[in-house]
Amino acid sequence: MKSLFYLVVFFIIAVAVTSCEKVIDVKTDTSPSQLVIEGNITNIRQQQTIKISRTVDYTNPNVYPAVRGALVNVKDNAGNSWNFTEETPGVYRSVSILGRPGRTYTLTVNVENNVYTASSTMPAQVRADSITLTDITFGSRTRKLVAVHYTDPKGVPNYYRYILRINGRQTNRVYVYDDRLKDGNLSKNELYPDTEDDDERNELKRGDVAEVEMQNIDKNIFNYWFTLRQQSRGGPGGGTTPGNPPSNINNGALGYFSAHTHQAISITVP
Amino acid sequence: MQYKSTFYLLLPLLFFCCFNAAAQKKFTISGTIRDAATGETLIGASVKIDGPNGKAGTATNGYGFYSLTVAEGTYTVSVSYVSYQLVTKSIQLSKNTSLNVDMKAGNELTAVVVSARDRKDQNVRSPQMGVEQLDMKLLDNLPVLFGEKDVLKTIQLLPGVKSGGEGNTGFFVRGGASDQNLILLDEATVYNSSHLLGFFSTFNADAIKTADLYKGGMPSQYGGRLSSVLDVKMNDGNSKNFSMQGGLGLISSRLKLEGPLIKDKSSFMISARRTYIDLILKAVPDSNIKGNTLNFYDLNAKVNYKFDDKNTIYLSGYFGQDNIGIKDLFTNDWGNTTATLRYNHIFNSRLFSNTSLIYNKYSYSVELLDEVNNFRATSLIRDYNLKQDFQYFSNKHTLRFGAQATHHRIAPSDLAPGSSSSFNPLSIENRYGLESSAYISDEYNVSNRLNLLYGLRTSWFSLHGPGTFSTYNSNGDIATSQTYERGKFVQNYFNLEPRFSASYTINERNSIKASYNRNTQNIHILSNSGSSSPTDQYVMSSNNIRPEIADQVAFGFFKNIKDNAYEFSVETYYKWMQNQIEYKDAARLLANADVESQLLFGSGRAYGLELYAKKRTGKLTGWISYTLSRTERKFAGLNNGSYFPARQDRTHDLAVVGIYKLNKRWTFSGNYIYNTGNAVTYPAGKYEIGGVTSFFYTQRNASRMPYTGRLDLSATLEGKDTGKRFRSSWSFGLYNALNRKNPYSIDFRDVPNDPTRTEAVQTALFGIIPSVTWNFKF
Repeated sequence: MKSLFYLVVFFIIAVAVTSCEKVIDVKTDTSPSQLVIEGNITNIRQQQTIKISRTVDYTNPNVYPAVRGALVNVKDNAGNSWNFTEETPGVYRSVSILGRPGRTYTLTVNVENNVYTASSTMPAQVRADSITLTDITFGSRTRKLVAVHYTDPKGVPNYYRYILRINGRQTNRVYVYDDRLKDGNLSKNELYPDTEDDDERNELKRGDVAEVEMQNIDKNIFNYWFTLRQQSRGGPGGGTTPGNPPSNINNGALGYFSAHTHQAISITVP
Repeated sequence: MQYKSTFYLLLPLLFFCCFNAAAQKKFTISGTIRDAATGETLIGASVKIDGPNGKAGTATNGYGFYSLTVAEGTYTVSVSYVSYQLVTKSIQLSKNTSLNVDMKAGNELTAVVVSARDRKDQNVRSPQMGVEQLDMKLLDNLPVLFGEKDVLKTIQLLPGVKSGGEGNTGFFVRGGASDQNLILLDEATVYNSSHLLGFFSTFNADAIKTADLYKGGMPSQYGGRLSSVLDVKMNDGNSKNFSMQGGLGLISSRLKLEGPLIKDKSSFMISARRTYIDLILKAVPDSNIKGNTLNFYDLNAKVNYKFDDKNTIYLSGYFGQDNIGIKDLFTNDWGNTTATLRYNHIFNSRLFSNTSLIYNKYSYSVELLDEVNNFRATSLIRDYNLKQDFQYFSNKHTLRFGAQATHHRIAPSDLAPGSSSSFNPLSIENRYGLESSAYISDEYNVSNRLNLLYGLRTSWFSLHGPGTFSTYNSNGDIATSQTYERGKFVQNYFNLEPRFSASYTINERNSIKASYNRNTQNIHILSNSGSSSPTDQYVMSSNNIRPEIADQVAFGFFKNIKDNAYEFSVETYYKWMQNQIEYKDAARLLANADVESQLLFGSGRAYGLELYAKKRTGKLTGWISYTLSRTERKFAGLNNGSYFPARQDRTHDLAVVGIYKLNKRWTFSGNYIYNTGNAVTYPAGKYEIGGVTSFFYTQRNASRMPYTGRLDLSATLEGKDTGKRFRSSWSFGLYNALNRKNPYSIDFRDVPNDPTRTEAVQTALFGIIPSVTWNFKF
């Protein structure tokens, strides 16, 4: 409903006034570089990846130093253990691991004798039945919207995350949903475009291929993405006061470690 | 312990003042002051009595009543009120005397005066600090957004009051949050004072007689909010003649009717307003736009009946509604309803009583219209309020005492899905609370130089069943749950709120004042968006939420010069706040039965210096207000547990208001505002997550948005005075005349055509906006 509120604000602004955007210079702080870990374990036969990098100051280019030579290990609660090897700088992989729903995975990363750990439980998989396209109109602008349909299992909390790719290119928006108000029902999650998103490549046109990656994530990971999404719009002054999303990794590392299911489903715009 | 000692200190003083007066042989002169043309009672009119045996002075109360007690003798009574002709009368006081005075409006050339209270030296003499009385006539001449004159936007030009944001009616007083303002309309609480998401306020200026803002030194008859009271009173209705007035503007139109029902016994007032943006939308040929709604309307009505000079009843009400809808997507409706029944009884020339029975409700509904994701969600907060207030006027004391009981019901959320909806029906338990208080205060004229206003308010809040009440562990999961039957107390809080202010007059022109007051608050708004939203959640103090408490001390220096034509004041304050509320990461506030598990509790402090210079008379009137302030919050778990600036912490806040009356027909005005940008959190670093740039934050709210500066201009042209009753005027306005792009929000993102860099993008809402309004009256 919060996003609805933003839609309302957007609507008012669009109708009543001419809002205007400009790029400004801002004075930002600097901080010592922080360790960033992004770990994903999925249930499909793909290379499971742990990426380790560092933050840079806000004013620097978007080039993030890879952290090399880390010792990376993942264990599950059934007594298995996998050592990850560094394939490219800062990217650690294991070919033998395959995630299973219901298992809890524990990540251990050792960087220069600092140890970071995190654990995540892969939820049971809920598969999408279909994805569809609908038209949505704000003012005089009509856009196509991708919606995912599935049946939510009753009696258990479920958390969903989607990644939307248009013609193979990932869009920036964070899509996470839970079944707090929809437990056990035939559900539809609409992947609203960012109302301020003027990037034409994110607009679906005839012949475009929209691919949705559907993930079942655990509660901590949902909170991580949900917090990130709350902050991504409205920005300072408009929306929620931004902060670092709650990481499930200890010892002050940024990022997350998620064991989640994976399903890819796509549609071509007619 | 500290309450107890305060109480014992107060007790002898209170007894002293009750019995002191009766000991001497004195008589009382009392009565009601009214406008001769409309019969409206005049609030705050100055009544002075002077003679060889003594002199005294007072101001009329909220119902135009005054009472003065002096020794037997011959006196001259003089009554004055802003933009009215002075009335003087000679009387021989040998028994208790009743004297009602009808005052005639002054001639038109008398310039606009920026303060309603007439007692010209009130600024210097009154022990009351931190109070601002708005002259409703002033609003006719000030420039505002879309030409909609607005009480809430005008008070934002006063020192110590900060605007909620561009074009927003939300406001922050002396470092308080926007839900810490008690907003009263004829004594009824208005929970959501905004229309159209805060761009307009619920107060239709046509229907309003007075608006008083207390930002410190709050008198003890007020309570329930930490930082301010905005006490708005509606017009009673013309008791002499039938009259009509209205206006046509760009956004909305207004119409007011008033007149006598029974001559000199009863009159009525009804005032309505409606916007027509949606009517314009309907005219647009594009069928997609046609299906949208966007409007608000409101209605104020009041009737009174005077049984005799001693007994009057008033019935007043407000009804307002906003409707927003986007075709096939959703609708959102919200509104307030208030009703106030009051009975004034004058027991004798010294004892005035008012009994009020008040109802108020705020509700909203949100409807999603999608064929799968559909529901209708409703929520409301409702109060019944019974209030008894006495005012006792004696020689050197004005005593005010009374009691109040308010019953609250909050229905947090009811979700009703359609038959094929993916949503489950949900009804979150209602919450019930009883807020009771008693108060006593005394304005004591100790000597010609020293005036005291002191008192005590007790506040007792009890949350009661039926319902299931939970406590939560640090993860936000339910730790314990207990079910209570109907009427059983779940939690009680008792607080004592001492209030004290004093003024010491150095000489006729200069005075110093000091005040201390404690306030508590048991109704809290949960909202994690920057501006006010119709779906803000209300919660009461509970087993998880303790009452918010604020203690404020203030000192001031007041100076009037040139026969009170200029007023200056310097006030400084320090405020401590306890049990303040913030939200955890990923807090889910809407439709959440366990919303209390999503909260963090901490403390706050605010301090500042307010400078105010006002020119009250002449062709050019206006004021300059400047506030230097700091507002900070501290929460375990946020910002490493150290103080951080609140969002509305703006170091400098300046407003310059000028009104120039050129001649009988033309009045020009302008205001300029400048304030430091909001305290915001900018990223210190960045990193990549999921292929997308993410930002790393260090200190909370340690950065500043760019400053806000805005010049607004307006001109009012009065129609020719043709000697007929019909009068009209045109108002022309330019909002943001310099077309400065003031920051509304700042977003950080990758440069669209260069993903190797990031940039900060500022969004501004309003450029230059012209407006025109035609007003009429007959």
